[in-house]
Amino acid sequence: MTERSLSPSPWRRRFRYVRDRLFTLAVTACGIGVILAVLAIGVFLVVEVVPLFTGSASTANSDAIDIESLWLPQQYPGYDEPQYRWQANAATDADTPMFSLTPLAWGTLKAAVYALLFAVPLALGAAIHSACFMSRRLRFRIKPVIELMEALPGVVIGFIAGLVLAPYVERHLVGVFALVLVLPLGILAAGIIQARLPWCLSKRVPLGWAGLWLIPWLAGLVALTLGISPYLEVLWFDGDMRTWMDQQLGLDYATRNAMVVGLAMGFAVIPTIYSLAEDALAGVPASLSEGAQALGASQWQTLWKVLLPAASPGIFSAVMIGAGRAVGETMIVLMATGNTALMTLSPLDGMRSMAANIAIELPEAAPGGVHYQLLLLCALLLFVFTFCVNTLAELVRSRLTQRYQRLGGTT
Amino acid sequence: MPTRFSTVIILLGLLMWPMTGAMAHTWGDPVVGNLDSIGSDTMAGLMLRWGERLEQRYPAVRLQLQANGSATAPPALAEGTTRLGPMSRRMTASEREMFEASHGYPPTEIPVAMDALAVFVNRHNPLGKLTMTQLDAIFSDTLRCGAETSIERWDDLDRPELAGPIDRHSRNSVSGSYGVFRRDALCGGNFRVDVNEHPGSSSVVAAVAATIGGIGYSGIGYVTSAVRPLALQEGDGPAVMPSERTTLNGEYPLSRTLYLYVNLPPGESLPPVERAFIDLVLSPAGQDSVRESGFIPLPESVIAAVRQALGLNVPWGHVSPR
Repeated sequence: MTERSLSPSPWRRRFRYVRDRLFTLAVTACGIGVILAVLAIGVFLVVEVVPLFTGSASTANSDAIDIESLWLPQQYPGYDEPQYRWQANAATDADTPMFSLTPLAWGTLKAAVYALLFAVPLALGAAIHSACFMSRRLRFRIKPVIELMEALPGVVIGFIAGLVLAPYVERHLVGVFALVLVLPLGILAAGIIQARLPWCLSKRVPLGWAGLWLIPWLAGLVALTLGISPYLEVLWFDGDMRTWMDQQLGLDYATRNAMVVGLAMGFAVIPTIYSLAEDALAGVPASLSEGAQALGASQWQTLWKVLLPAASPGIFSAVMIGAGRAVGETMIVLMATGNTALMTLSPLDGMRSMAANIAIELPEAAPGGVHYQLLLLCALLLFVFTFCVNTLAELVRSRLTQRYQRLGGTT
Repeated sequence: MPTRFSTVIILLGLLMWPMTGAMAHTWGDPVVGNLDSIGSDTMAGLMLRWGERLEQRYPAVRLQLQANGSATAPPALAEGTTRLGPMSRRMTASEREMFEASHGYPPTEIPVAMDALAVFVNRHNPLGKLTMTQLDAIFSDTLRCGAETSIERWDDLDRPELAGPIDRHSRNSVSGSYGVFRRDALCGGNFRVDVNEHPGSSSVVAAVAATIGGIGYSGIGYVTSAVRPLALQEGDGPAVMPSERTTLNGEYPLSRTLYLYVNLPPGESLPPVERAFIDLVLSPAGQDSVRESGFIPLPESVIAAVRQALGLNVPWGHVSPR
């Protein structure tokens, strides 16, 4: 630094002081503004929803809405048994609309659960591999690429899932089910082969670069599986697995189903979980793992007994934030499911999530009516849910950071 | 997000040369200013075409279009935020009451076009026709149209060439098409829970085109060659294919009229801008736009009657009330 900047003139010092204060003020104001905006959204939703339960809603049939009618099965004219039904109708006055939030909540959770079933093993596996086993050079290239996946808009993923993936999966059911078995087994087989190879060969396919040399291996397996699956279909399932499932097992396969949504939304959630979990694992102070290895623990033992327990709160919060994203995701569910308000567990059925329901119906709901207020109630429930999940995840994560600092880490 | 979720405000035409002499001497009244329209999403494209034609005729007019759905028109008309409300269905009694409560007179209903709801299946499906009772038995679980049992699978139709599960596709519950289908095809009953709901008509067509066991419905303008429309049979009558002719003569059972609602106090005539717009809509050029948008033009006799009722047959120069 030059001498001038070390001892600036009093005027200049005063100018810098004022500038710093102004800037601090601006940043603080922005921060407070963001907090106020979040609170204001919550307050707005609550204010709009309250008339629903106090009975001052403008439409005549508002007295039929209470917590019981929203969540328990209701008896409707024309049906033998009480039903969970969501069927809003703005177009006719003739019938009472059927408002049950249970199938919507069910659909929301079902979509999130199937997405997490797909995403959590993949994302955590990838995080563990890249934090503990991958070569540093490869890791610095792969991590930003996976995080870039997060920038893919939900509409794009939903579009591909609904119009490309869903029909493809339907036509190639056997191949897709076979891949679910073949890919994990193929990876295991690759590991076993790699370990048995003589040294001169195995040094060419080191573990740290598995991310690269597995690609041709897996691509080959995928091509092989999809290639022979039509013959398997003829051999085992009379040429058409969908018809076979329908006739032999009584399973009805809906084109846009939970499996496709799980796949597509899992794809959207993987980067979030991967990135946070990887940070947590990589942030475990090196002294811990070095200590364990110095005491004679193998890499595997170090991972299971030291790294994973130390990073578990971070991994937990990664999964929670992923779940929050999956619950709030709108466009993927909207476009990749048939929006059928069903209450089944089957991965072959569709569902209707709260977020998708709001996106479909809010534009045509008359402001101030019961339907409108119920949609805002859905919004409020989503808001509260994601707010709680994210807050919990953040709390856990900040405690983890403190723990690492106590243990002498740098994170 | 697709445009229908956000408020679509389309500014048509620029206020380029307001009050040019050319305008003033062609027409007795200057047609200048903004025209607001709030309402149907189905009719958005049609309103847009009419707006373009209007702008060609009167460069000093611009149409501001909000297309969020038919249900948004009545509140906007009642509150006076718009004077034009396009709707793909009729106003319900409660919507009319809301308008009357704030203005003291009923809204003026102007039919502007017809639309037929085509029921279609995948192009590989050999089915040619359905009776209205069968249609209800496929889509509803209330069976109000007289069917004994639901049709769960294609096998239940008792045709040897049809087998397998049925994949049902519909519009979402707040659209006008859904309401019309529910009223006319389900006899006011309820849809089954496993009917897929799509946010747009072209999405229904795409879904049926992709599934061999699919069946769905949409406005006839959306039907592509990837799906095959079915002929519908009412009672013992003939099976009728959806077309312009069968819709106009009332043989096809699933048709609807598209309306334009305006706020017109009794005994008064329309302000110049609205008058110019409705005059265009009910002219041969305006009805050409209807056909271009995939809807069905109104029959000549209806147009003549509506024009008569609105006092639109008088040449322009003579009607100026001022």
